[in-house]
Amino acid sequence: MSSGKFRQIVGLVLLASLAFSTYSCTVASSKEDFFGTTTPPARNIFRYVSGDEPASLDPAISNGQPEARLYMALYEGLVEYNPKTLAPEPALAERWHINNDSSEFTFHLRNTGRWSNGDPIDANDFVYSFRRALAKETASHNAYLALYLKYSQAFNEQQVFVRDPKTGEFLLARDFEENLPAEAIGGSPIDPAKSEYQPDPNESTPDPDTAFHQQMHTPLRLTLPGDEKSRTKRIEASPKLKAAVAGKEFIRVKAEDIGVEAVDKYTLRISLVQPAPFFLGLLAHQVFRIVPRKVVEQYGDKWTQPEHIVTCGPFKLKTWVPYDRIVLERDPMYWDAKTVKLDELHFYPILDNATVMNLYKVGELDAVYNHAVPNPWLHVLKYKKDYMDQREAAVDYLIMNTTKPPLDNPKVRRAFNLSIDKEAYANWRRIVKPLTAFTPEGTFPDYPQPKGASFNPSEARRLLGEAGYPVIQNSDGSFSCPKFPVEQVEFIYNSQSANRSVAEWMQAQWKQNLGVTVGLRNMEWETFLDARAKLEYKGFARGAFGADYMDPFTFLSVFYTGGDNGTGWEDPKYIAMLDDANRTLDQKKRYELLAKAEAYMLEQQPVIPIDTPSVNWLKKPYVKGMYPNPASLYAWKYIYIERDRAKWDYGTPSLTAE
Amino acid sequence: MFRFIVRRLLVTIPTILVVISITWVLIKLAPGNFYSGEKRLPASIEKSIREKYGLDKPWYQQYGKTMWPIISRLDFGTSLRYEGQSVNTIIKRSLPVSAGVGILAYLLALIVGITVGSIAALKQNSRWDYGSMALAMLGISVPNFVLGPILVLIFSLGLYWLPPSRWAGFPSRNLILPVVTLSAIYMAYIARLTRAGMLEVLRSDYIRTARAKGLSERDVLIRHGLRGGLMPVISYTGPALAFLLTGTVVVERIFALPGLGNYFIQASLNRDEPLIIGIVAFIAITLLLMNLLVDIAYAYLDPRVRYN
Repeated sequence: MSSGKFRQIVGLVLLASLAFSTYSCTVASSKEDFFGTTTPPARNIFRYVSGDEPASLDPAISNGQPEARLYMALYEGLVEYNPKTLAPEPALAERWHINNDSSEFTFHLRNTGRWSNGDPIDANDFVYSFRRALAKETASHNAYLALYLKYSQAFNEQQVFVRDPKTGEFLLARDFEENLPAEAIGGSPIDPAKSEYQPDPNESTPDPDTAFHQQMHTPLRLTLPGDEKSRTKRIEASPKLKAAVAGKEFIRVKAEDIGVEAVDKYTLRISLVQPAPFFLGLLAHQVFRIVPRKVVEQYGDKWTQPEHIVTCGPFKLKTWVPYDRIVLERDPMYWDAKTVKLDELHFYPILDNATVMNLYKVGELDAVYNHAVPNPWLHVLKYKKDYMDQREAAVDYLIMNTTKPPLDNPKVRRAFNLSIDKEAYANWRRIVKPLTAFTPEGTFPDYPQPKGASFNPSEARRLLGEAGYPVIQNSDGSFSCPKFPVEQVEFIYNSQSANRSVAEWMQAQWKQNLGVTVGLRNMEWETFLDARAKLEYKGFARGAFGADYMDPFTFLSVFYTGGDNGTGWEDPKYIAMLDDANRTLDQKKRYELLAKAEAYMLEQQPVIPIDTPSVNWLKKPYVKGMYPNPASLYAWKYIYIERDRAKWDYGTPSLTAE
Repeated sequence: MFRFIVRRLLVTIPTILVVISITWVLIKLAPGNFYSGEKRLPASIEKSIREKYGLDKPWYQQYGKTMWPIISRLDFGTSLRYEGQSVNTIIKRSLPVSAGVGILAYLLALIVGITVGSIAALKQNSRWDYGSMALAMLGISVPNFVLGPILVLIFSLGLYWLPPSRWAGFPSRNLILPVVTLSAIYMAYIARLTRAGMLEVLRSDYIRTARAKGLSERDVLIRHGLRGGLMPVISYTGPALAFLLTGTVVVERIFALPGLGNYFIQASLNRDEPLIIGIVAFIAITLLLMNLLVDIAYAYLDPRVRYN
């Protein structure tokens, strides 16, 4: 017997035995209510896998979800996510008030805030942390979320003001409309008539009016690029600007210019460049959590090492062994330490999901992170009482390269969307909900989410024919589209078995309903991202987006700037519609306008929405106070180990009860 | 002999520099970067990150910035992905894990492999021979990403005897499954190499001479037979040990061990340039040193080999 053949036989025998043992194992466990053991840990500790090893313990640096959860234990900001609804609730800020057009926010801090080394927390810590997060040298991945602060973008990009050396007056942006910053985040200048404060019944005295405050209320100054070359280019492009800057001096935008001010020790005022009704919810994001100035300045990028780190959250760092464990312990200095129920919080960075599930099953983990349950396990685990079944604030979709034919034609894009049976897809995937819009299903209850086109293969064939690619029905009932240039499209996805089966599913739908066979190509992750970002693909690519904050705009803003979104689709009309919406102060009306913009975008079809994913994770029944909220972010201080079996969670805890 | 060692060591240095340079070029040619994710960063943020890490400089400056600290003080720089952690620290921290598991696995492989291989050779064409060689074939054929989960399934999830994964230091029960998984294939190779080597040696003239001299069968086998029969195992040990010491990606991933192999694969996926270069250089050095050690061992064990 040749060794090759022998190997084959051995391989087959092993595969068979493996299949059998997996089968017998899952069948054996399918009779139980829960997956694996349910013995609570002896001490009040909580062991969790949040995903990969964190890139950094510095909340300003990383934008990943595994890190975000860790930062929620170590750091706090003005507000914190409600464990169920994710709505902002008081944290280091006790209370706040917002002016009429949501462009100025005043926070009253609690005076009991302490760093883990005992130092008091005051408004200057926030001013420092915000300025640091926005500084170019920090190179924060999250800084874009803070660009709503007045002049923060100019500061982040090291731009300059233009000042008349004689009068000391600055050139104003409104006089040079065409020179507004290229990447303004969306929205109009603030209307001074509307930006007054609404009366605050809790406030006996109004906030002191400072010189800085008045300066924030002056019209927006003009800012120009900081480096000589692009500035000259900008100036040369506009004769009006060229004449205006003659004889003027350029002043670098400093950290002190951005719209955050310590009014007094415990009052913080934030001034925005535009009205942003969703800004309060955004403030719970990690980029707005505070870092200790003294330690950061003393140790530079080594400040997060265990021997130096100082934190301000409910837990503090005890040990950190990279790729092994991060152990946090209750911080007695925390202002709300009496609420904190766990003594220790363990994070294990583990990459392999099967390994994570094994540890959970034998009881070495108390909960696993979202999306940790591998697809093939779902047919058993979905029915367990410790399976967390809840919609996620995220969407899965396909993007299309709208710059290359044939997908530059909206009719073709619509045809490909209409020929996918999303209901059938969702049934096949088991845990997702079909999606026809670009905002997730069920995350924003008051938002009148538009319904996109649903499955309609005959309409799809008609549209494709209209676009010049007639679909012919063959004698056996199948379809073919001989004129369609299949060599000009393909479906790219990053190498993962789950992605592959999704791609194959889409391919089969198009083949069946349009008679078009789209080729599939898998790519290594970074290569895939690169091809997508640079539009170096033809046809379709897998896409996904998770909410940065709890407002539909976080999704709609994906297509706010062209180029960035991987489709090449950019439409001034869509941008104007979003701007209109964000200028609207009435929340209901604003949502209606956002929904209109979304409907318009869906009509243009730069993407094919596929599904709203499920959070898809497990927690032991004795873990209480942990809710499967749509962003999978947990306020750790409320979590505890329940030893009384009668009070355990049997099933997914509700997000609305109590 | 001394001159041989010095000469070999001197050749090592340019070899390593070439390896590092090729790695550097490959990383630069690879698409993607260390900071991109599912959410695209705004262009201005991307620009500040590139400037912070000097990626906006011309290639020769970037090359010089990488190479000079390595040449002047063996400093591989700071990881791009793991903020503030130096590559040297990461290697120092994860090496003991990989090397510990690797050495244990190789010792186990040596003990079991040589014993089984010798028995198979002595009882050639017997039930023992066929049985052990069939097992060895199994060990070679089954990849460790299959063997590992099977062992976990049986001993952790089925019988609840051993922890399924994670690191718990030396010594601990957590080590058993990864060490066995890792050693299986080496065990099998060593058994086959020992058997082949022994069969050849046992037929050779000097064994016949030893027997004719009236030496006891034990002396013949252990002092003369094994010494010659193990030569293939020794030349196999060099590269095998070098790879075991520097970590094995699959086993470290399945068992969630904080070893070098885990870092290596993550660094490549994350395009973490300094960390990739650091680990590649380290693996290259280990491999070259191990091969040198093997050559020296040859000179001692085989009287026919001389390096002058």
